[in-house]
Amino acid sequence: MHTHSKVALLTAALLAVSSTFALAADKKVAFVPQIIGIPYFDAMEAGGKEAAAKFGVDFIYQGPVDTNPVDQMQIVQNLIDQGVNAVAVSVLDASSIAPVVEAAKAKHVALFTSDSDAPRSGRALYVAQATDEGLGDAIIDEMVKRVGEDAKVGIVSGEATASNLNAWIGFMQARAKAKYPKLKLLEPQFAGGTAQRAAQIATDLMTANPDLKGLIGVASTTCPGVGQAIETASKIGKVIGTGYCSPNTARAYLKSGSFGYSVLWDPKELGYLTVWAGKQLIDGKEIPATTTPEGMSHPVTYDAKTGVLLLGEPAVFTAQNVDNYKF
Amino acid sequence: MTPRVSPILAILGLMWVVVVAGLAVLKPAAFALSTVTAVLQFSTILALVALGQALVIVCGGAGIDISVGGMVSLAVVLAMLLVNAGLPGASLPVLCLALGLALGLVNGFLVTRLKLLPLIATLGTFYVYSGTAVALTGGAAQAGVPGFLLPWGRGAVGGLPLPFLTLALPLFVAAGVLLHATSWGRWIYGMGFNERSARLVGIPVDRVRLAAYGASGTLAGCAALVSLAWLGGGRPNIGQNLELTSLTATMLGGIGIFGGKGGVFGVLAAVLLLVTLQTGLLELNVNTVWQVGIVGTILVIVLLIDNLALIRRTS
Amino acid sequence: MRAFLQRFGEREALLALGCIVSGLVFSILSPYFATADNLLTIARNSTELLLIGLGMTLLFGIGGIDVSVGTVLGLASIGIGRLLEAGVAPALAALAGPIAGLALGVITAFVVIFGRIPAIVATLGLLGVYRAGIFLALGGSWLSGLPVGLTNLLAARIVGVPVSVLVIALAYCAVFVAVRLTPFGAHLLAIGNSEARARLAGIGVRRVQVAAFVISGGLCGLAASFYVATYRNVEMTIGATLALEAVAAVVLGGTAVTGGRISLLGTALGVILLRLLQNGLLLVGVPSLWQPVVTGILLLLTLGAEALSGRLPLQRLRPSAVGAAWRGGVR
Repeated sequence: MHTHSKVALLTAALLAVSSTFALAADKKVAFVPQIIGIPYFDAMEAGGKEAAAKFGVDFIYQGPVDTNPVDQMQIVQNLIDQGVNAVAVSVLDASSIAPVVEAAKAKHVALFTSDSDAPRSGRALYVAQATDEGLGDAIIDEMVKRVGEDAKVGIVSGEATASNLNAWIGFMQARAKAKYPKLKLLEPQFAGGTAQRAAQIATDLMTANPDLKGLIGVASTTCPGVGQAIETASKIGKVIGTGYCSPNTARAYLKSGSFGYSVLWDPKELGYLTVWAGKQLIDGKEIPATTTPEGMSHPVTYDAKTGVLLLGEPAVFTAQNVDNYKF
Repeated sequence: MTPRVSPILAILGLMWVVVVAGLAVLKPAAFALSTVTAVLQFSTILALVALGQALVIVCGGAGIDISVGGMVSLAVVLAMLLVNAGLPGASLPVLCLALGLALGLVNGFLVTRLKLLPLIATLGTFYVYSGTAVALTGGAAQAGVPGFLLPWGRGAVGGLPLPFLTLALPLFVAAGVLLHATSWGRWIYGMGFNERSARLVGIPVDRVRLAAYGASGTLAGCAALVSLAWLGGGRPNIGQNLELTSLTATMLGGIGIFGGKGGVFGVLAAVLLLVTLQTGLLELNVNTVWQVGIVGTILVIVLLIDNLALIRRTS
Repeated sequence: MRAFLQRFGEREALLALGCIVSGLVFSILSPYFATADNLLTIARNSTELLLIGLGMTLLFGIGGIDVSVGTVLGLASIGIGRLLEAGVAPALAALAGPIAGLALGVITAFVVIFGRIPAIVATLGLLGVYRAGIFLALGGSWLSGLPVGLTNLLAARIVGVPVSVLVIALAYCAVFVAVRLTPFGAHLLAIGNSEARARLAGIGVRRVQVAAFVISGGLCGLAASFYVATYRNVEMTIGATLALEAVAAVVLGGTAVTGGRISLLGTALGVILLRLLQNGLLLVGVPSLWQPVVTGILLLLTLGAEALSGRLPLQRLRPSAVGAAWRGGVR
């Protein structure tokens, strides 16, 4: 056979195969994290895959390589164009989805947020790990338990432009002002996206404030930075480190004592719940105020007014229980 | 002296055919008008910035502008701060352009008056501009974009996004005309090709270069306006990475890094190719990190091929 | 010649003065600046940049540049990290850094010199490739809580002096000797001055260029060993800011971007000044977000001031220098 005809046949076959796939397509649920390559979002991906298998949908996981909202939006737009039925986004900020909300509605794509919200953008709902307020409160309360009410605590955040991180910081400050007026919460410092900068800033904060009793790392990249800084400065026990860190990242520092505790939720569960929520939206099912999705071990709550689907309370990890978790 | 059209354009064309054909085979569903609209939409900001970068590089003298991203970010932030502080919302477009022009002229001044090497001058302004944009706002996005801009920023006519149609495309045409049909264009290519001779012949090298940096700034201001109108908010780090991507696009587009070579339509083609490639890879659900790697590889390969062609031509 | 040396020495003196003055100002404004611990912190923060800057200085010397140095550090760090996780002895794992760096330097050299692609563009492309490589090598997640064996090894002191200080001093001395006292150095600077003339003079241009890129890669790999020891974490964004910081530091130090004139002492002082400022600003309460702005202003002020006082004849664009600066290969 001539090469020419072989190529033609191959092309035809491929076209036929791909269109068959198009016909027999399952419903698709996608999740777009803030950035790929981070254990936290990897865990969400794992949870999403598990839920997809359970609920009979296809799961797509696509994210930008840097915290650029335009890149994130490009991915969201693309998914909408592809005809994915439900798209969940952990938004870097509202501008990541604001321009595409209309397009999504026009194409009957359920666009919703998960892990990080854009409240006034017209998203279908928000799958929240815990309330932002709950997260801010938990980390401050646990810190005060360990360092007392009359202490100085520093905050090291990641990107200054991440709206969810700033929301948590805001609630930390509000909690401190309302409940612990003697607590001195320093102005947050921003380390960008590397552990190196986080370590350097944490070290400088400890130097500038020798009476510093606690350090809170807000972004997941700041966790190893803060933990290592406390160890390197030989301040284990004198400064309590903490952050919204995954057990895997925090384990070494919880065991060494530089971290006193870590506040998080189970991102795998969050990913699972996200896909479940996507399925509900696709099927047009109303979500009741309290329900236990199939395969989950505890109930979740839904507030129809704000559109917030809440996973539950934040969890606190310590050196004692950290080995029970593998993410 | 007409600039030689480099084989890069041919290579670009070939790559585009490959990308489109690959997509046709692997995912024919991607061929919809909405894809074209999306590609053009996402190309607009990069296209504007890459055009500015191209003008600066073509002028020669080791010209480069690493601060383009910073100019976009700072223009966005300052424009929004001014509007929120009381200036009329209708002045936002003018503000963006004026701010961009001013920031660009600072670069031009540093390069032409202080004779700083462009790499260094724009590195310094990169740090100052991008840092100031984030520091002034504490990282918070600036809300309050006047409502009249959004329909323009998000609208489309016949599948072609309005910002691309009404801003980017005309500017590219204007730049093309400038470079190929006016004496300014001849001066620019002359300067880029051999600055000493250009000066000897009486070309006002410094003035043209200053204008080029000013143009780069103004185009950054245009990009800032587009981002505000499109996203509906001012994000202080919107320009992040634009310096690298605009440089990649201009190199891919056939602009010689030494200056004096290349045309703006190559740049537009390169931008469209890059965004089409991105979109295509997304359609195929290829991990986004591969994009970064693929673009880097393409850059190296395209330049290798160009060099080979050059060697063959001159041997 | 004396005038040249005089001008040459002035930038280093300016930087040293800058360090001292800033140090004094910070000491006055913050009681915690001038403590042994804090100065040690500044030194520790400078380690990677000192080594990467050294390599960048050599590259500037031949009129080249490498914007992928952060990713080279990243890839080397992954190698070291994986070895540590696998239980390899820290000393061996530490050696893996420079070895990986040298290997990557060879690749970079290959693309730039044999591909005849201008260094800035070639390394821009490689930046993307290496960044993707980091993601692939990490398997999408991070290396966290790496074993402390390496940390302890490199934090040890020999005769009271930290190992890191010794290694850096050794590196700088080695390069200094190579540049000042061997033909390599003379050839390097000659190529930076004018590649065509160097070739005519019979210098093995390619050999020297390759050597510069390979050495730079090796230094990045060495920096990776220290990075892993200090931070014990390798994430995907590792090294993102290092390339431009290195360029800024080297430029501050008086090395000419166009090639032909380098200053090792200047680079070291430039790095220290940058890190000192970052540390001091935070101590006196300037929010961290303003640090990049200070870096930029410092850069512009230093070079602008020198330009205004008319002391930068060698930085002015000479037609041949311009050509040499941007050429990674022959035209």
